[in-house]
Amino acid sequence: MTPAWTILSAFFGALLVLLLPARMAAVSRIIALVASLVGAVAAAASCLARLNHAVVWDFDRAWIPTLGIRFHLAADGLSLTLLLLTGLVAVAGVLFSWNVERRPRAFFAFFLTIIGGVDGVFMSRDAFLLFVCYEIVILPKYLLIAVWGSTNKEYGAMKLTMYSIGSSALILIGLVVAYGASGGTSFDLAHLASTHYSPALQAWAFPILFVGFAVLAGMWPFHTWAPTGHVAAPTAASMLLAGVVMKLGAYGALCVALPLFPEGFEQWKPAIAALAVIGIVYGALTALSQKDLKFVIGYSSVSHMGFVLLGIAAGTHWGLRGAVLQMISHGIIAGLLFGIAGRVVYERTHTRDLTALREFDLWRTLPGAAIGFTLATAASMGLPGFSGFVAEISVAIGLWESSPWLVPAVALGIVITGAFSLRALHKAFFPVRQASDTTALPLAPLTWPEISAISLLIAVSLAIGLYPKPWVDLIDDGLRSPLFHSILSQP
Amino acid sequence: MQLLPEAVLVVTALVLLAAAVAVEAQCSRSLSNRSAIAIAAAGIVLAALALCYVPVDVDSGKSLIVIDPLARIFKAVVLVLGLLAVLLPPARREIPQPGEFYSLMLFALTGLLLTTGTNHLMFLFVAIELASLSLYLLAGFSRTARASEASLKYFLFGGVSAAFLLFGLSLIYGFSHASTFSGVAAALSAGPSSGLAAAGLVMVLVGLGFKLAAAPFHYWAPDVYQGAPATSVALVAAASKVVGMVVLVRFLLIGFHSAAGSAAWGGMVGGWSSWLAVLAAVSMVFGNVLALAQTSVRRLLAYSAVANTGYLLVAMSANGSSSAGAALFYVIVYGLATLGALAVTAAVERDRGNDSPASFAGLIHRSPWQAVALLVFLTSLAGIPPLAGFVGKFALFSTAMAGTTQGSAPGLTWLVGLAAIMSAISLYYYLSVLKQAFVRDGPEGGGETLVAMSPAHILTVAVPAVLLVVLGLFPALLLDPIAKALTDSLGLR
Repeated sequence: MTPAWTILSAFFGALLVLLLPARMAAVSRIIALVASLVGAVAAAASCLARLNHAVVWDFDRAWIPTLGIRFHLAADGLSLTLLLLTGLVAVAGVLFSWNVERRPRAFFAFFLTIIGGVDGVFMSRDAFLLFVCYEIVILPKYLLIAVWGSTNKEYGAMKLTMYSIGSSALILIGLVVAYGASGGTSFDLAHLASTHYSPALQAWAFPILFVGFAVLAGMWPFHTWAPTGHVAAPTAASMLLAGVVMKLGAYGALCVALPLFPEGFEQWKPAIAALAVIGIVYGALTALSQKDLKFVIGYSSVSHMGFVLLGIAAGTHWGLRGAVLQMISHGIIAGLLFGIAGRVVYERTHTRDLTALREFDLWRTLPGAAIGFTLATAASMGLPGFSGFVAEISVAIGLWESSPWLVPAVALGIVITGAFSLRALHKAFFPVRQASDTTALPLAPLTWPEISAISLLIAVSLAIGLYPKPWVDLIDDGLRSPLFHSILSQP
Repeated sequence: MQLLPEAVLVVTALVLLAAAVAVEAQCSRSLSNRSAIAIAAAGIVLAALALCYVPVDVDSGKSLIVIDPLARIFKAVVLVLGLLAVLLPPARREIPQPGEFYSLMLFALTGLLLTTGTNHLMFLFVAIELASLSLYLLAGFSRTARASEASLKYFLFGGVSAAFLLFGLSLIYGFSHASTFSGVAAALSAGPSSGLAAAGLVMVLVGLGFKLAAAPFHYWAPDVYQGAPATSVALVAAASKVVGMVVLVRFLLIGFHSAAGSAAWGGMVGGWSSWLAVLAAVSMVFGNVLALAQTSVRRLLAYSAVANTGYLLVAMSANGSSSAGAALFYVIVYGLATLGALAVTAAVERDRGNDSPASFAGLIHRSPWQAVALLVFLTSLAGIPPLAGFVGKFALFSTAMAGTTQGSAPGLTWLVGLAAIMSAISLYYYLSVLKQAFVRDGPEGGGETLVAMSPAHILTVAVPAVLLVVLGLFPALLLDPIAKALTDSLGLR
């Protein structure tokens, strides 16, 4: 199975779901599950093949010759790990949305469209195609939140959409600048990256392109769309947004902005590092004072994505590898946290308020969710054995190599992360109950789709944490690409 | 043979007039809308068939009428857009005398067809005015106060712009003693630059700016879009704008290629390039900001027209063949999207009585296919893939950059950057309409479906929607022929 199946299954699934007659609406979730399973299996199979040094799949056709645009999809190890992440989060997202009642066909069609667009970005080797896939995601995101969301949904949806489109305007500017300056003949990413742009141009073009991508990665101070959007979104969309869509921004920053303008990157590195550290600490501090469980997770995403940006800013092999590992780790963990808070708990208690959750005594009434959330929290705090640890330690090593004076700030961030994670876990799931409290009413037990989604994500996080070698090998395979030569070869 | 399509249109228009008179005399009632539309549509289809037999040739530099590859493509485009506009059924009692109305539509189309195929200063003016005079009448045809205001405003602004255009053309003639664009170019390259030519050029650009609704010459547009019958608006918004761009491309790239100057940052050189850059910037900011505040979807589309003219002028100011090709591609795509959006708006208006965004509420339940089509049109205008509007904008911006960036110079980045950001802002107002259609629930008892649409109306919605999707996925289908036609017709690389 080639990685093409990831994108094909998603788009064909979306089309199929849309074409279902109204009375068969219930079938749509099965189609969505099959489509995302096919995607996940295809990604996993391709990962295995790549580990055995199989030939990389490559699809290259002329598309718009007048502009030098080709339909070029390919997957190296780095793309494959992210495709696998997308597939896993997609499967879990469908499982967590098993009981969507309202307009399920449109819901799953938009869901699968997002998956397809994300897969497309990870595989595009042409800047135009990458941008197309990047923008395809915008409208389904808006509709998923505005139609199926909660808590101020229209505001959250509009804010998120305007941030996304604003960020893509910056990306567009950066890409056409590179296109123009490289002679205006081709949008091929390798061609754009092999051109040497004058340092003066790189100095102003790099921040435009980088910030464009970094907005979607939740870089402080452009992060405010993330918490509002994630809270307003329905569970599956929150999982996708935090789990994979934010990774689009990080992926673009890493695999487009850096290779195109390496000297600009060199110049702006300290600024990126500073913003990343502020994001880590600020996100964690804000999460510490939230009342809504989903907002806690939303701000924790900002903090965690700060590690990705920090790894990129380190600019060393360890740093970039750590950034990708953190992307994967955060994708899994955020998906899990949002799934449990937004679906498993909220569906039964109809509140996400930390104080109100106390009444439900979730540890006793919903032990499965409590165990899942505890493990997810442990992973999120970066405890050894989970994926978060591997990622954060790699980023920290990368940082030691480039700017050691920033490491204490990272340590501070990790401490605060521990604080807010434990606070939320404690308040929501393990409240201190007085004898005078009434006994909580029993809640419906976990359903099998919920259990399987939770166990799937936890298993993956543990797998990465306990045996990171295959993942690291795949990422290193991607980092060996010529795109990164100019960055990693620098002293 | 060269004028066969135009001749077919004129004959059909005369037949239509005669039929209207005959029916009135015989049955003492006016010709029905449906038969008038049928006759007009048949005429346009015949004209399109006739176009296949028109011999294509490169401009010899002498003739009034030029049927070069560019003219042929755009005559076809104008006929398609014109056909779609004609098919858009008018609301009840919107058009009191269908015979006259549709014959005027055909006359306007004749003018537009002629305009696409000339490189001659005088003939250009005559053809433009033939189209414009018909359009003024079409705008005021429904005899409501709004329509009269629209028509009067359109006429007054149009008259002033015609004066500018004519005066400018005569100054250019006075400078060059040539009556064709290529003659003007020869005179420009032969002699020193002259104030006369510059003044003439400015006046022509002002005149064309009115026609294209570039800010600050756009004041007629919102009233016309709101007050005129939907059918007339569809013609003004789509076909006439496409033709305006063709004229601009021919006039500037053949006649004044050497007087372009530059709009590059830090390297600004006087010439039409920098003037168009300013017009583009003003149009984009003005159109997009004012569109944010509209409570009528038709007015919103008018301001979006102003903004889109801005994007087109961005590419034009790069003064290159490839960016002109991108502009011509985009204007077709824009025309299709606006026409379709107007068709959906007309249907909603008929159902709900007005065109405020709120009357679109719950469209997805009342008429899912129309809602999906509206999604296609508005997101294409906003530039979201995989629709043609996205490819068009991307082509505009990338070709504008490719033609002007060298080394570390920022070139047109300031203008392209402004365009990209303005285009991002535009998504807000398009989404505010789509939000009503997809997110909000309709009024009480919102389960009912829209008034059934006639097959013609379905065509005016479905054809642009399908074309936008197809051209979005396979833009080379149209971009390549346009690029080839441009190099063949204008002798540019």
